[in-house]
Amino acid sequence: MGIQFKQVNFSYTGMQKGYYEAIKDISLSIESKNEFITLVGQTGSGKSTLAQHMNALVFPTSGTLEIFGKKVTSKRDRHIKYNDIRQKVGLVFQFPEYQLFEETVEKDIMFGPLNFHKTEEEAKVLAKKALQMVGLNDNYLNRNPFNLSGGEKKRVSIAGILALDPEVLVLDEPTSGLDPKGKRQLMDLFKSIQEETGKSIIVITHDMDLVYEYAKRVLVLDKGNLVFDGSPEVLFRMNDLSKFHLDYPQTIRVLKGINERFNLSIDIYQKTVHDATAAIKRGLNS
Amino acid sequence: MGYLDIEHLYFQYSSKRMILKDINLSINQGEWIAILGHNGSGKSTLAKLIVGLLQPKEGRITVDGVDLLPENVYDIRKKIGIVFQNPDNQFVGVTVRDDIAFGMENLQVSKDDMLKKIDFYATKVGMQNFLDKEPSQLSGGQKQRIAIAGILAMQTDIIIFDEATSMLDPGSRAELMEYIKELHQEGLTIIMITHDIEEALYADKLVILKSGEIYQQGDIPTLLKHPEWFKEAYLELPTAIQIYYDLKQAGHDNQELEEYLWAFSSSK
Amino acid sequence: MKNIIIGQYIPGSGFLYKLDPRTKIISVIVLMVAVFLLKSIVQLSIAMGLAILILIAGKISIIRIFRGLKPIFVLLIFTFVFQIFFNKEGALWVDETMTIGFVSITSMVLWTIIWRMLAKFKKFKMILFILYIGGLYLIMKYITYGTIFTTWQFLVYEKGVEMSFFVVIRLLIIITLSTVLTLTTKPTDLTQGIEKLMRPLKVIGISSEDFALIISISLRYIPTILDEANKIMLAQASRGADFAEGKLKDKIKQIISLLVPMFIIAFKRSEDLADAMESRNFVPGRERTRIHDLKLGRLDLLTGLATVLLLAGSILVRIYL
Ligand SMILES: Nc1ncnc2c1ncn2[C@@H]1O[C@H](COP(=O)(O)OP(=O)(O)O)[C@@H](O)[C@H]1O
Ligand SMILES: Nc1ncnc2c1ncn2[C@@H]1O[C@H](COP(=O)(O)OP(=O)(O)O)[C@@H](O)[C@H]1O
Ligand SMILES: [Mg+2]
Ligand SMILES: [Mg+2]
Repeated sequence: MGIQFKQVNFSYTGMQKGYYEAIKDISLSIESKNEFITLVGQTGSGKSTLAQHMNALVFPTSGTLEIFGKKVTSKRDRHIKYNDIRQKVGLVFQFPEYQLFEETVEKDIMFGPLNFHKTEEEAKVLAKKALQMVGLNDNYLNRNPFNLSGGEKKRVSIAGILALDPEVLVLDEPTSGLDPKGKRQLMDLFKSIQEETGKSIIVITHDMDLVYEYAKRVLVLDKGNLVFDGSPEVLFRMNDLSKFHLDYPQTIRVLKGINERFNLSIDIYQKTVHDATAAIKRGLNS
Repeated sequence: MGYLDIEHLYFQYSSKRMILKDINLSINQGEWIAILGHNGSGKSTLAKLIVGLLQPKEGRITVDGVDLLPENVYDIRKKIGIVFQNPDNQFVGVTVRDDIAFGMENLQVSKDDMLKKIDFYATKVGMQNFLDKEPSQLSGGQKQRIAIAGILAMQTDIIIFDEATSMLDPGSRAELMEYIKELHQEGLTIIMITHDIEEALYADKLVILKSGEIYQQGDIPTLLKHPEWFKEAYLELPTAIQIYYDLKQAGHDNQELEEYLWAFSSSK
Repeated sequence: MKNIIIGQYIPGSGFLYKLDPRTKIISVIVLMVAVFLLKSIVQLSIAMGLAILILIAGKISIIRIFRGLKPIFVLLIFTFVFQIFFNKEGALWVDETMTIGFVSITSMVLWTIIWRMLAKFKKFKMILFILYIGGLYLIMKYITYGTIFTTWQFLVYEKGVEMSFFVVIRLLIIITLSTVLTLTTKPTDLTQGIEKLMRPLKVIGISSEDFALIISISLRYIPTILDEANKIMLAQASRGADFAEGKLKDKIKQIISLLVPMFIIAFKRSEDLADAMESRNFVPGRERTRIHDLKLGRLDLLTGLATVLLLAGSILVRIYL
């Protein structure tokens, strides 16, 4: 089960550009439980395109994709209800403005469940539960989603997907535009959702600090190619990340600077400020 | 008196809530100041007031000694340009050339003059080979550079960047910062609005906005000596400084190391 | 959605590219009028020949124009068939008795099934369609056995055939002319040309500059908005909105789920855009200089002259032939 990419290619046929290979020969397997993946790469590297494959919003140009046992290829198969895949794999788009449309938060969150033939009552219960999961209390149910702050809108849009109770949750740049506090709160939220429900979570982000601190597994895209699939520990131990157009996390950069400046050999691979401090103390004492 | 002065400025949108309260700020020519604040603290509102897109409820703004009033906003805007957050929503032209020209057209610059300036300023932001490109063929970072070129071509004294990098990836962001640094070295006054402390570190002076009020302002090393201020304003400190305070709290004293951590953040 | 072509402009170097957009706009309009003055197939065929000559002189690939015609092929065929069926003037050319009976209906259904099965060979779509129509004709004409329900007369008159060719050729010429205009003129130049041509409207209080600005901003944002509409559709599809299927009630809800975000984003964008324009000193109605300055040259004069001659020609033809 889960999601398997087998040599998936995808090309956009654009208006003027002709056609454009957005992702190339991607082979990849994502478990249906307990993953915490971050997907990184510079703008235009194909992250969103890859994400949209995961719930069959776009179909591979060639190659095979298997999503919870259902084969997705370039041809639409009339026996497959692609909509069911979208219930199993929930995808949250980058801008909440793309999806909020109802006059109350509750109705907006109910939209998904109702599309999947839940009754009005069931949908209400799901909406309430989803809202709690994203850390908003019941007072929000009757509020107008358009009067919320950016961070709150984002949470409501995530609740709109969580209400489908997907097994895998994919989020396209959820932290972009938020201030550092907002970013961290949201990542903490994903982490707690992951730990409490066991759902697999995939987050697209540009923030290496967050990648290093939160991810169990990192996928790196570069110009449509999957160039890395492994743990953040392995990724950030690589020597030349600029070839993937990536930076190192701040903690690593600071510790590396200290080592060079003071000729020390502190273990620079520390995820948090706390760990970094502890490592420095150990390094100075020895 | 600075070049740009803001005195006892208050502002509210149609609702009752006061969005900006008693803002006092003075900016000198050639300065680079960073306005740092959490989401919703009123940064964009302040920026729009400075370029006369909104009118203060109370208080005044003066630019080069002249009061900013609806009557003279046209002349004041010749002195201040602004780059907004969303690259797509400020690209007016059908092509890069048209977009750089837009402000100059409004200022009634002659065609020959415009062509020369377009070439010059497009080169300045590294976009000289893109003049005939359409916005759909450009990346976000490139669009922001075009916006800068359009403002430079209007020869303003001040450029405000309202979270101009927040929709870009780290690569384009660093690139844009390099261009801004260069402009500052050439004497332009920069007002950098951001919620990213690492980005604010480039400035000479830091203004911390919190829920519509100026919570603190001063030079960066001084403010960084008060970690509690950042915490109070829902902001984060640079990682190196966080480590510095963490070490300090753990009772560690190492003069050299502390100096290094300190310099790590202010070396920008 | 992705196949909609907006900026049809394709860079090139023929003489058409060197013309002032105003010359092109006016010439195209004048030539269209001239085409409407023509009365006979022969005249129109000559006009068609001239149009093709313009394409050749302007180094424009005829295939490209042809490809541009694809979307309106149905319209052309419909026009053609309509004329053949309903125009009952002139000599009677064809008078066939068509039979509709049990066997012929069965054959027609079978024929339709065969045609639909072959429809996946997209390359031969047109040929298959013509074969299909031809087949229906033959079935109704020759399959006369079995139980017969009714018969009808398939009548084609001289004028019907003539008119159907006439209308289709005229349509072709007009489409060719307007395609030439959009193919060889940059959107910016086009709006600039329209703006200049609308100058006189200032008398009745319409600012041609503001109008042109509105057009050029619309042109600039159409691709962005289409792209966005596509993303919104995907975002709602992610929540199970199935735009292809579902009951009417669900469907209305789903369309609303598409329209509301589109409008809200459009409003937000127009506010941002107004701020951006204002901050760069744009004041509606105020005098501006323009980066695109149009200049008429000798080529424009020649083209204008040729256009006038063609118009005069068709007026003469109209009066004396
Ligand atoms: N709808 C589309 N039509 C044509 N090209 C597209 C479309 N969407 C994306 N692309 C192109 O595909 C590439 C990958 O895009 P995307 O997956 O959005 O990258 P990322 O999310 O990593 O920024 C980009 O070069 C982009 O220009
Ligand atoms: N056009 C508006 N109408 C009413 N309230 C607004 C408007 N724009 C912003 N606000 C409110 O003003 C406050 C400050 O917003 P803004 O200046 O955009 O903050 P920042 O740029 O620091 O994120 C927010 O609470 C926001 O909700
Ligand atoms: Mg993306
Ligand atoms: Mg803002």
